[in-house]
Amino acid sequence: MAGSTNLRFTSLHDVELCSHAATGERRAFGELVRRHGSAVRGLLRRMGAQAGEADDTAQDAFLIAFERITEFRGEGTFASWVKRIAARTYLKRLQKERKLGAFASDGIEDEPAAGPSDADAAIDLDGALKMLGAAERLCVSMCFGAGLSHAEAAEALNLPLGTVKSHVKRGLEKLRARLAPGGGAAVEGRRGNG
Amino acid sequence: MAEVEFERRLERFFADAPDLPDAGAFADRVERRLNTGWTARRWLIGAAGGAGGVIGASQLIMSNLFQRAEAAGDSAKVLQAGLTQIAPRADWVSGFASAGVVVWVASALAIVAMGFALTRVIEEL
Repeated sequence: MAGSTNLRFTSLHDVELCSHAATGERRAFGELVRRHGSAVRGLLRRMGAQAGEADDTAQDAFLIAFERITEFRGEGTFASWVKRIAARTYLKRLQKERKLGAFASDGIEDEPAAGPSDADAAIDLDGALKMLGAAERLCVSMCFGAGLSHAEAAEALNLPLGTVKSHVKRGLEKLRARLAPGGGAAVEGRRGNG
Repeated sequence: MAEVEFERRLERFFADAPDLPDAGAFADRVERRLNTGWTARRWLIGAAGGAGGVIGASQLIMSNLFQRAEAAGDSAKVLQAGLTQIAPRADWVSGFASAGVVVWVASALAIVAMGFALTRVIEEL
C-alpha cells in the first residue's frame, strides 16, 4: 500500500507534491527531498560547507521547508525556494559558530581554499569555486546558486551591500578567467536533477 | 553583454548539480526526522487534549454543579407536586426529575467537546 502511494508520488509534479505535503503528507515531501536533496547539498558544499556539515544543514533546511510549505506559492521552482532556505540556514549556522565574522572585513583578500593540482586538467565549477576566497565563494554561491539578490545576500550575511557587491565582482572576475573558453581550462557541464 | 552571458552560464552551472550517490539514504533520513517530529507532536496534542479535559472536569466538580442539579431536581419534584394538584392529568415537569442524569451526560459531553476543541486548536497552531 505504502509502496503504491510512493509510486504515485513519483509521477507528480513538484507543485502537486507541495500541495500534498501541505496537508501533512510526509511521503510526498520525501519525494521532493529525493528529487532536490542533491541540489541543495551540492549548493551548500559550493558555499564552502564540508560534506557532513552540508548534509546536516540540508536536513535542517528541508525540515524548515516542510514546516513552511504553505508559504510556497509555486511562483518559482521548489528547488530554488528550498535552496534559499538552505543558504540562509547555513549562514545562521556560521553565525552561531562565529565563523561568519571573518567575512565582515571589506577589502581583505581571502586566501584561496585550495589551488588546482594540475592547471591543464579539465575542471568543473566546484574546482573553479575553490580558487575563490571564502567570502567571494559564499557571495557568488548565494547570488548565483541560491538566487538571492545582492541586497538579500547582504542582509543575510549582515554585511554592507557594497561589500557583497565587491566580493561578487571579484569572484566573478576570477571565475570568468577560469571558466571562460580559453581561460585556462575547459568546463565540464555535469548533469543532475537541478 | 558578455558579462550577462557569463552570469547566465554560471547560473546554469550552479543549477546542474550532480546527483549524489546517497540521495535516497539522505531522503530517508529526512523522512525519518519528519516522522519522529510528527509522532512527538501527536503525543503532545493528545496530552494537551487530555489535560484540557481533566481541567474541564475538575472545574465542573469544583463549581458544585452536581449539587445544584440535585437541588434543581428536588425543586422540580415540588413544582410537579404543586402542578399535579392544580391539573391532575397533566405531567408538567416529569422531565425535570431526571435532570441530574441529564446534567451528568451533558457534563461528560462538554468535557469531550472541550478536549476535542483544544486538540483542534493545537493542531491548527
